[in-house]
Amino acid sequence: MPSLPRRYDAIAIFLHWVTALAVIGLIAIGFVMTRLSAGSHMQFMLFQLHKSIGITVLVLSVVRLGWRVTHPTLPLPIAMPHWERVAARLSHAFFYGLLLGLPLLGWATVSASPLKIPTMLYGVLPWPDLPLVSDLSGHGRLAERLGAVHGFGGLFMGGLLIVHVAAALRHHLIMKDTVLLRMLPLLKPVAGPTQ
Amino acid sequence: MSLRCRNRRMIVGLFAAALAQSSPALASGWTVDPARSSLGFRGDQSGTPFSGRFSRWRAEIEFDPARPAAGHARIVIDMSSATTGDGQKDISLPQSDWFDLKHFPQAVFEAVRFHAKGGNAYEAEGSLTIKGVRRRVILPFTFVQHGCVGHASGSVELLRLDFHIGEGPWASGQMVGLGVAVTLDVTATRR
Repeated sequence: MPSLPRRYDAIAIFLHWVTALAVIGLIAIGFVMTRLSAGSHMQFMLFQLHKSIGITVLVLSVVRLGWRVTHPTLPLPIAMPHWERVAARLSHAFFYGLLLGLPLLGWATVSASPLKIPTMLYGVLPWPDLPLVSDLSGHGRLAERLGAVHGFGGLFMGGLLIVHVAAALRHHLIMKDTVLLRMLPLLKPVAGPTQ
Repeated sequence: MSLRCRNRRMIVGLFAAALAQSSPALASGWTVDPARSSLGFRGDQSGTPFSGRFSRWRAEIEFDPARPAAGHARIVIDMSSATTGDGQKDISLPQSDWFDLKHFPQAVFEAVRFHAKGGNAYEAEGSLTIKGVRRRVILPFTFVQHGCVGHASGSVELLRLDFHIGEGPWASGQMVGLGVAVTLDVTATRR
């Protein structure tokens, strides 16, 4: 098996793990906030936090996509069969689609809401509504539908996350390659176990 | 009291004061000191209290504690001057569900008479107009006077939906409480 001597650069690793923490937080908050009694203080605060983290993920993901385009990804281990390569690429494509699409859907949901609660990121930074969508906010049906799609998207993201983590652990524990190590932060450069 | 204020004014300002006091109708008039007066409101969102204030309003007050029924007051409030110190609320207030500033930039409180309630307690009887909705309001307040300076302090509990404030999805009161206390604290000098 050929070595995979290189690791991802610090920016790519940073963006990956900050996004990972944010997404796990978003799924957890999203799950809790939609099950709290409507109108409670905790629910309101969790919605505001969810909006703030979600927009952060949107911005980080735009930066990350730009970084990925200008810094090609590391090659997959040559030993990987074709279907695994396709699955890996496909899951990564889904991730990027969700990382950009889910915040946009959430943003549209907020913009279409007849509540018209202004978004203040982390309580300080004003964030506008999506202009075209907010014009349609007269009745709550649109916001309800957008919110439902956003919620299903979140569930799909959660499922994809589990597959992603399982695949990374399989690479590390079963295939014993460096696929996981090269994305881990705070490690010395990976020489590759087979080198 | 009013005589003493008038006398002092006479000594200080002679003709100007004499002119100002020449009309008996102005004898009980007051000049509000904006720096020592405030108009505020208190409400609650999801059980968490918040407060705000109007920074721009003007008041014409005719009030003689000896003859309260002859008094009259008119307070015009610039609704765009309302702030709570919370960005989300301050952005929301001008919206059509709330103050609808575009159509209703001003609110007016008009007291047609005052009532003495014993001691330093009084009531202002009149009407309050917000968002074009005029309703009868009784504003209880206390009044004390030291020399020419009077201090009145009162508050009234309003139901915001009476004035169409917080309509649409907010009308249930589930997220923002329906009761709002409006507080008025005025320091004024007798003319």
